[in-house]
Amino acid sequence: MTLFLILEGTVPNTYPQSFLVKSPCLTTMAGMSLLRVERLSKTFGAIRAVDSVSFEVRPGEIYGLLGPNGAGKTTTISMICGLLKPDAGEVWVAGAGFWSDPQKAKRIMGVVPQELAIYEELSGRENLEFWGRMAGLTPRDARSRAAELLEALTLTDRAKDAVNTYSGGMKRRINLGCALLHRPQLLLLDEPTVGIDPQARLNILEFIRNLRASGTAILYTTHYLEEAETLCQRIGIIDHGRVLAEGTLSELQERLGGDRVFVLEADFKNTSPDAWDGFHKRFRVIQKSERQLVVAAIGARDPSECLKDLLDLPVHAENVTLKRPSLNDVFLQLTGRELRE
Amino acid sequence: MLRVLLAKDLRRARRNPLPWLINLIVPLALTALIGLVFGGHSDSGALGRIRFAVVDEDKTPLSDFLRGAASQREGAKYLEPVFMEREDAFREINANEISAVLIIPTNFMSNYLTAREAVSLELIKNPAESIHPAVLEELLGAAVTALNAVSRNFNSEFPAWQAVVEGKEDYHKVSILIERAGDKFKTARKYLNPPLVSYEKEAPSVKPPGAAAKNGASKADSDNGLFAFLLIGMSAMFLLFIAGNAMTDLFRELRQRTFERYQTLRGSLAPFLAGKFVFTVVMLLLCSGIMLGGGGLIFRIHWQQPLALVTLIAGYACFTAALFALLVALVPDERRAAVFYNLTGMGLGLVGGCAFPAQQLPTFLREHVTPLMPSYWFVNAARNLQDGGTDTGWGWVAFKLTALSVVLIALAAILFRRKFQTGSRA
Repeated sequence: MTLFLILEGTVPNTYPQSFLVKSPCLTTMAGMSLLRVERLSKTFGAIRAVDSVSFEVRPGEIYGLLGPNGAGKTTTISMICGLLKPDAGEVWVAGAGFWSDPQKAKRIMGVVPQELAIYEELSGRENLEFWGRMAGLTPRDARSRAAELLEALTLTDRAKDAVNTYSGGMKRRINLGCALLHRPQLLLLDEPTVGIDPQARLNILEFIRNLRASGTAILYTTHYLEEAETLCQRIGIIDHGRVLAEGTLSELQERLGGDRVFVLEADFKNTSPDAWDGFHKRFRVIQKSERQLVVAAIGARDPSECLKDLLDLPVHAENVTLKRPSLNDVFLQLTGRELRE
Repeated sequence: MLRVLLAKDLRRARRNPLPWLINLIVPLALTALIGLVFGGHSDSGALGRIRFAVVDEDKTPLSDFLRGAASQREGAKYLEPVFMEREDAFREINANEISAVLIIPTNFMSNYLTAREAVSLELIKNPAESIHPAVLEELLGAAVTALNAVSRNFNSEFPAWQAVVEGKEDYHKVSILIERAGDKFKTARKYLNPPLVSYEKEAPSVKPPGAAAKNGASKADSDNGLFAFLLIGMSAMFLLFIAGNAMTDLFRELRQRTFERYQTLRGSLAPFLAGKFVFTVVMLLLCSGIMLGGGGLIFRIHWQQPLALVTLIAGYACFTAALFALLVALVPDERRAAVFYNLTGMGLGLVGGCAFPAQQLPTFLREHVTPLMPSYWFVNAARNLQDGGTDTGWGWVAFKLTALSVVLIALAAILFRRKFQTGSRA
């Protein structure tokens, strides 16, 4: 038997958790959320796409809505920005109900749809200027703002080219820029990095971090664990239309019983943890398959003691790994399946 | 806002002009095609006089009669026979100067009157033309039928008639021959009067179906009635198809989610739809300008009341654009919509009397359905204008079409809003 003791898993968060409370900008507005969603629900025929979803996004915060495809992320964003009318629930933008004055709410928010909602025949500059005009900017403001954004998105040298000649990453950047012309305080990003190469993704994520640093509140939906872990201050895990858990990364990890989980590899075909005396008092089972058992220790116990307990189990353990719990483990514990499935 | 939306669509059209060029070229090509089919040009603007050569190699009184019949009274209005020798005629037909050559062969009269052998007239058609030679062939067929009828009834008297023609009979015998001919006609009177086959001149075909003509102007009074009649109907039908094509851009906006993005920025859908509507109307006016203006130049049609016609076209363009905006809102599937658009265009065109006169439609359609068709309102009023009617009601028709377009575009906006909010399009 090999025993590995590895501290692996999550990439360290770029922004320390203390950032949120130490930022003077955020402390002054700490009590007020820019977006508040309360018990939002939407049904399409027999399918309940969104089921009583509630969360809030504060200024200067990136709130991640993490879930697999079909979890209800896009429907939630569509209801927040007024594309869909919710069956139940409320959306509050900057303290006012969305439907009491939709136009006012729309002026506060910028929406980046998952699809490339741009005109491919037009140039990058023309797209930006057009959407700027639609957002209510004067021709002059739209022009200067478009130039600023092209610079920030590093697209100035291709500004005059038709978008249909751009790479996937460049199109994504223009798609993002089109929502920023009117300097929205709240940005709704619906999977903005889908289908692009890692380098282009890093560029976009860096741009989003800069936006957040300037105080923009961001709702970020994704099904990429790494993005949620590295980008978002708080994360809501959504599946089948319901927010199953919410909190900072460490809060979510805490749900599993601390900052480490044990992965035990053995033949579990003919045995069950239920049959092991006192096992459930010491460990919480996160996942069990024929070959693998993922558990978290209950209470503040020494890892070596936990390892010893696991090795004493009445199975022939082939491998035991200790690792830092990832969001995938949280998702696994909440739904019984991996997010990547 | 409307200006920005319009500028955006015009830019997009400029960058990707092919679909629009096709829309503009199709009516132009169709007009040109009809022009080629009908001989390319016509001084009168109508079918024109058919110029053909007559080579009379018989040079007898009967061939003189045939020559004369073609160039007198009603015949002279439509036919322009030119008498020449065979070689000259062939030269002319090769030079595309004439539509056909009619050859009356030697001994034509004597063979006909003696019935010694079958007689024949020779018609050589100009292969570069299609309609004029075909008309001549039909006319010649009718002449041959008439000659056969005469031959069957007067065969026994042909030798006597031949003697008369050759000047060998005295005038008493001539009078007897004429009297006998009169008796035969008297016997056949009940077949000839009323004739089994008759024709009458049509009153202007643009009057409401089944209704009496409201004005004294007759279609026959108009030199260019045929082409004007055709062009107006064809334009009305093609504008329907073009509007359908233009409005499919709304599907692209839906597919590319730009329509949705617009909604995340603006509260009202109306400016977006209005932008698309105005853009489509502009394209329709351009196309109708090409069809009616270009067609008018080709066929030398003098449009009687251009300002009224333009007003009518503008009303009709508004109606077609709004109709197809509504159809986009109604039919969610882009591929299914294409079929639906074509059917709608065909239906409105055919039942509205665009493709052929409304009087030719089945009674039920003609009396109960056609008068309700906006396409019929347009073609009827436009044709009435062209026929010089004094009480065409074009202003009322233009108003009705415009008012209807406002209702349709409002309905489209409501439907879009509802579909978006219920998630049918999301």
